[in-house]
Amino acid sequence: MKTTDIERTRMDQDDEKLLAAYREGDSEALGVLVDKYKRPLFGFILRFSEGREDADEIFQEVWVRAIKNMNRYRQKSLLSWLFRIAHNLMIDRVRRRKFVLSLDTSASEDGIPLSERLAGTGLGPDSETGGRELGLRIEAAAARLPLEQREVFWLRMQADLSFKEIAKIQKCSINTALARMQYAVSKLRKELAGEYRDLREAGI
Amino acid sequence: MKRKKLEKCLLLEQSGELSPRQLRQLERELAASENARILRQELGRLRGSVLLPETEPFPWTVARISARLREERRPVLTATQVIKPVLALAACVMAVAGIFNFHGKQAASSPVAVVAAAGVDVWNDPLEGDLSRLERQIAAISGDSIDIMEM
Repeated sequence: MKTTDIERTRMDQDDEKLLAAYREGDSEALGVLVDKYKRPLFGFILRFSEGREDADEIFQEVWVRAIKNMNRYRQKSLLSWLFRIAHNLMIDRVRRRKFVLSLDTSASEDGIPLSERLAGTGLGPDSETGGRELGLRIEAAAARLPLEQREVFWLRMQADLSFKEIAKIQKCSINTALARMQYAVSKLRKELAGEYRDLREAGI
Repeated sequence: MKRKKLEKCLLLEQSGELSPRQLRQLERELAASENARILRQELGRLRGSVLLPETEPFPWTVARISARLREERRPVLTATQVIKPVLALAACVMAVAGIFNFHGKQAASSPVAVVAAAGVDVWNDPLEGDLSRLERQIAAISGDSIDIMEM
């Protein structure tokens, strides 16, 4: 399910009600909120973490921080706020561990590059359709992008955030976010030259 | 429109961030240029081909988040919160002990304490003799006996 399928809310009344209910002691309200945004958020975190368990820890931390700091919450979109926290957490981790995600070079225990491992796992039934091959190639190519470009790419393509929201998350201008996306698209175009050629030849 | 600018416009169109004026400009460009249309298709296909991970958080994740939040809500004594009162208490105890110790030392070294400790009436012994002598002299002068202690 794409984020676009989820109702893109601007801190809609539902979210506010759920948060208020949780504060008043309704623990189920938190479950509903987490469930609502888990796909795009967890999918994003998974791409920048070291596996499902690691991603799950970050995911938990994002929610804990989000709820704890809800009084500082100024954005209209809860999802955007969650991504912002996730971004900050990942930046902290990169700085602390010097764990720069160079997926093309870092290999897993079995020797398979992490990029391929990520591309090959966790894909749903959609991936079994005709677009799977191209999708896998996009995954692998995107995994080789520099961190900031990769982040813009996935925030836009997967989480469906606007460039304005991405700029806020990355603490940069909209033009910078756009430029990062253009660099990412340009590199993917080179990597996926064959696919692009097919597209042109198809005369679409 | 240059390719870079066109691509920016197309990306902003995808995200729904083009102003009506920019949108009209883009539509004109798309109507006039085949390359612009192909570029738009490319970006559309790229976006449409992105695979979304189906992997979800573990089923117990929400419970863990709730537990952590409950834990955070509890008034936990931080290191500073513990150390400060302990230091203050220790300072108080030391101050009180210091005062008592000071008095103790003072008491031990004062003449009164020495006398008390020795059990000797050093005050009355020489003074009494002096007083008796003085009494006798007064009696000799005045001719009357007098109890100088009553004066």
